Amino acid sequence: MIPLVTRIADGASATVRIIGHVAAWSGLALVLLVAFNVIARYFFGFGTVALQELEWHVMAVSALFGMSYGLNQGGEVRVDVLYSAFPPRVRAMIDLAAHFALCAVALVIAYLCIAYVEASYSIDEGSPDPGGLGYRYVLKAALPAAFALLALQALAMVLHGALRLVGALPLPETDRS
Amino acid sequence: RAQTSFTWKMTNAYGPGSPFYVEGPGSPTDFCQKVEAMSGGRLRIQHFAAGELIPALEGFDAVRSGAVEMNAANAYFWAGRVPAAQYFTTVPFGLNFQGMNAWLYHGGGMALWDELYEPLGLKALPMGNTGVQMTGWFREPIQSTADFEGLKMRIPGLAGKVYAALGVDVKLLPGGEIFPALERGVIDAAEFVGPYQDRRLGLQNAAKYYYTTGWHEPSNVTELLMNKAAWDSLPDDLKAIVQTAAMACNLESHTWCEANNAAALRDLVENEGVIADVLPADVVAELKAVTDSVLTEAAATDPALGKVHEAFMAFKAEHGAWAAVSEKPLYSL
Amino acid sequence: MPFTEILALCMIGAFFVLLIAGIPVAVCLGVTGFVFGYFGFGPMLFTLMPARIFGVVTNYTLLALPLFIFMGIMLEKSRMAEDLLEVIGLAMGGLRGGMALAIILVGVLMGAASGVVGATVVTVGLIALGPIINRGYDAGVASGVICASGTLGQIIPPSLVLILLADIMGESVGTLFAAALIPGLMLAGLFVTYVLLLGVMRPAAVPAIPSEERANYSRRDLAGKLVKVVLPPLVLIFLVLGSIIGGVAAPTEAASMGAFGSIVLAALAGRLSYTVLRDTVRAAFVTSAMVFLILIFAQPFGLAFRGLGGERLVHDAFGAVPGGFEGQLLFLMLLLFVLGFFLEWIEISYIALPLFLPVFLASGADMAWIAILVAMNLQTSFLTPPFGWALFFLKGVAPPSVTTAQIYRGVVPFIGLQGIALALVFLFPGLALWLPATIGW
Ligand code: NA
Ligand code: NA
Repeated sequence: MIPLVTRIADGASATVRIIGHVAAWSGLALVLLVAFNVIARYFFGFGTVALQELEWHVMAVSALFGMSYGLNQGGEVRVDVLYSAFPPRVRAMIDLAAHFALCAVALVIAYLCIAYVEASYSIDEGSPDPGGLGYRYVLKAALPAAFALLALQALAMVLHGALRLVGALPLPETDRS
Repeated sequence: RAQTSFTWKMTNAYGPGSPFYVEGPGSPTDFCQKVEAMSGGRLRIQHFAAGELIPALEGFDAVRSGAVEMNAANAYFWAGRVPAAQYFTTVPFGLNFQGMNAWLYHGGGMALWDELYEPLGLKALPMGNTGVQMTGWFREPIQSTADFEGLKMRIPGLAGKVYAALGVDVKLLPGGEIFPALERGVIDAAEFVGPYQDRRLGLQNAAKYYYTTGWHEPSNVTELLMNKAAWDSLPDDLKAIVQTAAMACNLESHTWCEANNAAALRDLVENEGVIADVLPADVVAELKAVTDSVLTEAAATDPALGKVHEAFMAFKAEHGAWAAVSEKPLYSL
Repeated sequence: MPFTEILALCMIGAFFVLLIAGIPVAVCLGVTGFVFGYFGFGPMLFTLMPARIFGVVTNYTLLALPLFIFMGIMLEKSRMAEDLLEVIGLAMGGLRGGMALAIILVGVLMGAASGVVGATVVTVGLIALGPIINRGYDAGVASGVICASGTLGQIIPPSLVLILLADIMGESVGTLFAAALIPGLMLAGLFVTYVLLLGVMRPAAVPAIPSEERANYSRRDLAGKLVKVVLPPLVLIFLVLGSIIGGVAAPTEAASMGAFGSIVLAALAGRLSYTVLRDTVRAAFVTSAMVFLILIFAQPFGLAFRGLGGERLVHDAFGAVPGGFEGQLLFLMLLLFVLGFFLEWIEISYIALPLFLPVFLASGADMAWIAILVAMNLQTSFLTPPFGWALFFLKGVAPPSVTTAQIYRGVVPFIGLQGIALALVFLFPGLALWLPATIGW
């Protein structure tokens, strides 16, 4: 049982990490794209509505797929006034509950987003601006996909947390400060 | 027993406090108050400006899903969803306030709008109108269409496509960045609304040449968008109240704009050093020629758009002939 | 009090309990929002959730956030930032607090380049927090300086807050930008004064660089080094500010000039390897996403607060205020400050301001002045524990050794300084109104 759970948790975590490593380059793409749009417009009088819209398309994908990778890399933000003073076991239990809740919320949001994407797909939604990017529903489909991935990452953290509590993995270190 | 009293939600594409679009006589919040008063409180509508419940341009989906019953916006915001919807806000070189309302109420416009929205579970009514809008603010004077070549302009929608065909570099900018971008020359020109709203944004401090004709937006309809099922669930008296209140706001908002724009334009010219001018006739003629081909081309891409285009243009031709002998001579008296 | 308003209060209470227990901020927001929102009005309103989230991740004005974060991390990973603070610290010689002053200066310049508070705090935090703690600064003082300097961008134009306030209060963006400049610089001046005072009162908290170390560099060496390390950041600020002032880029997209410039500068300095680029890309990805994660999970919370009639709570409180324009203005200030403990500034602007507007419009007071008071007040909301965004953003990039308690403690004096600045603008409206009147905006 424990080896199986470990395999699932590690596999989920590795999936998020690999997707994240690829998606991370969207940040560089965003920098180059916006800089290109500015420079091309100012120096060469070149600009298209599609390339301007692409800016926030890239930002959206980057922000959405970054959530799961950020958690994967330990980027959570919390108030640790009391937390850092709790014994490791209590902290592990708080984390388990928090990540379980996160998994649930992420799944609910992913589910809610499906109808949102369907509404867009049903009318073949595109850009309201002439010359803008079409297929708006493809961008919107990033919502449920990213939240599903977030749920997967949260699941990995829940399983890892459970393994710590049953002693199959070491508990988090004591007070960091 | 049928339900007799209702509490609805209305979202708005414009931010809190915006005159005309949110607050003031004939505005959407005024509409909500009118409906509540007329119905003796049986139809109460809670109003939410952009960002309060949902972001500015999400009202279409929110109403369609039934999460809110009403939304206030301009139908051309939905151009990416329903291309033909643009014609129910404004058409470049299209119809002014009188002509647009004549088309909607008595020229077959409403029937087409219903036909367009019904399959989507939506019902719309006109609920306001800015009247004719200004061509916009330019840092340098426009003497010929050659001045459009390489001009960087903030201009959304179909008009943007027309300008682009004449060599204008169309820049998308959110409302808040129009001023700093125009002031520093990131853009050379910007279109917003009319004297009262533009002065509020401070555009007179960024550019001095303020042009008419409102060729790109001869009038501009505020759309009351409703969920069709919710609309159908209203008893006849409440339906009549909604229709009447929307019609009252349509008139009141327009007259409010006319009065305030007149005062604002005088202030801009007399106190702010703004040079208000009409675009040269040959420039307008060329814009018109390009507009015709842009509209015809767009109409060919989408059957629903084509149908509305045909009907709109047929009405415009007939109304134009009447206006030419009625209104037009009156203006030159 | 209606049932839903009681629920709204319970939601805030539950949020605090979870937050203090150490549950991650995003989870606290999401869970309390969904649970209480569901009890309040069932599932219907939550069908709006995807639209809210889509609105956050496609919000054009937030574009500056990932761009400035990228710039900050490139400066960090290529070690240009570290050199900068080190050399400025050395150049300040025996002056205690020299590095803190350098941070305030960077905060002013970054603030003049951007209007997104998260970006500035994160960037300055990334660049500076580790190095100055290594230099023996008190972690609280260091955090306080960084958070406070980072929020300067919110009052020094261009600023997202001012753009939104201009919209809500019916003032032109230009007028507010001009009105905010002097109060913003005055605030920075107060920060500088405070750091200099600290150097006298608590020298151990803001140590100067030891004289033995300074002795390792001749004046000549130092001057050469200074030019070499100060040049790249100055170039970046010039690229960002210059592209706005020179009309090359709109304020938001100007951030890309800084981000792109940082890549070029790292390459010119011979410090751009594949490893540096890859590490920058990954770290920037994580940092931006963690800011977005909080913004995204704040959506159910904000929606639930509104749906539960939270704005009526605010309205009722206002109704109980004793009359008089000044009383109401003071009440507004107090209310904004209190709301700032647990709500995001955008929510505050939408909830509180529209309620007060008619009163202030009727009073005939200058709305630009009121807008600046509001903006300065909202700025403190970024700093007020437990729910100040600047604190979370800094915590997100701080070395693990820095605790939340240290950050909280560190910002308290700066909140006091903001109070003083606010009082000054309140007593002397000319601080805000002189510049716009003079330049005709
Ligand atoms: Na317009
Ligand atoms: Na700023």
